[in-house]
Amino acid sequence: MKRDPVVIIVVAMVVAIMLVFGLNLAHKSKSNAGVQMKDGVAPDFTLQSLDGKTVRLSDFRGKAVLLNFWATWCSPCKIEMPWFVELQKQYGPEGLQVVGVAMDDASTKEIADFAKEMGVNYPVLIGKESVGDAYGGVQFLPENFYIDRNGKVLDRAFGLKGRGEIEDEIKRIVASTAVAQK
Amino acid sequence: MKQFATLAMVGMLWGVLLPAQEPPARKVPSVTMPPVPVASVTRGKANSVELLFRVEPGFHVNSNQPSAEYLIPTSLKLDPPTDIAIGKITYPPGQEMSFAFAPDEKLSVYTGDFSLSVSIRPLASVLPSKYEIRGNLRYQACDNAACYPPKNLPVRFEVKVVKAPPPPRKNPPQSPHAHN
Repeated sequence: MKRDPVVIIVVAMVVAIMLVFGLNLAHKSKSNAGVQMKDGVAPDFTLQSLDGKTVRLSDFRGKAVLLNFWATWCSPCKIEMPWFVELQKQYGPEGLQVVGVAMDDASTKEIADFAKEMGVNYPVLIGKESVGDAYGGVQFLPENFYIDRNGKVLDRAFGLKGRGEIEDEIKRIVASTAVAQK
Repeated sequence: MKQFATLAMVGMLWGVLLPAQEPPARKVPSVTMPPVPVASVTRGKANSVELLFRVEPGFHVNSNQPSAEYLIPTSLKLDPPTDIAIGKITYPPGQEMSFAFAPDEKLSVYTGDFSLSVSIRPLASVLPSKYEIRGNLRYQACDNAACYPPKNLPVRFEVKVVKAPPPPRKNPPQSPHAHN
């Protein structure tokens, strides 16, 4: 029995498409395990800032947000902070807002002193476990979420990445266009 | 034509499978305490007991004297039974190491195995027997790119309290005339 090569190609393509679909579905469900993000939208939260103000993530809607989970005891987090300071200066005029969420047991004063020492020029909020849980459970630090102007998480990074990689992600979220809310 | 079809299929599968691969999941670090043989401790005296801890490969924990104030030191707290006093806990000096996240900075850390020396003094009135001492080792671990929240490792070991050996007998001074 001679098989038609066209049929073989079509079958191969169908199998490949099914594999793409299946693997992407598995990939998505695995990487989003535990993350309560509906349609990729960054969960909103309300936290206190170091100066006692109540800040909601949604206050930054329309801006590109780099949400950085960190702690004073985390050495790799300390490496990123000066980069964030520079990147905030550089991309702030284009709509970037870095937002730090401190996930440690240190007092507000200790966190504030640390942030001051690092020259932080962006809001730092006092984290809560429930907020960490909403973002998949912050099991290690740093964790960064790149949120576009519409509040969608475009990407996230676990652990310290290179400055160039962080800047590339920032360019992506800054380039996003805000869609008017209905 | 058949070869082309096979190649096309392999090529498509290759292209599909590669980008879909998930990076390996990050391991959660652990510090463990191998079983400690029961140490004999003399009542009424300070005795030194060594406790061994093991940091999983690929991770480090801060030493007891970390290089920066903001880092969480490794520290042991023990809750001994009544009449057994815990004295000084001696920590080993940390290894001065640089990591990929801060190649120009030296951090004082423990990796692999490290031992703590605990001074234990049972009061002279303690009944000779085995006693369990419990406590917690607080540590904060990192790998080359990320840090993990501080953890408490439950610590348990036994000591056998024994009586102090009787003092050596003193011979009565001999008379200078004894050998006359």
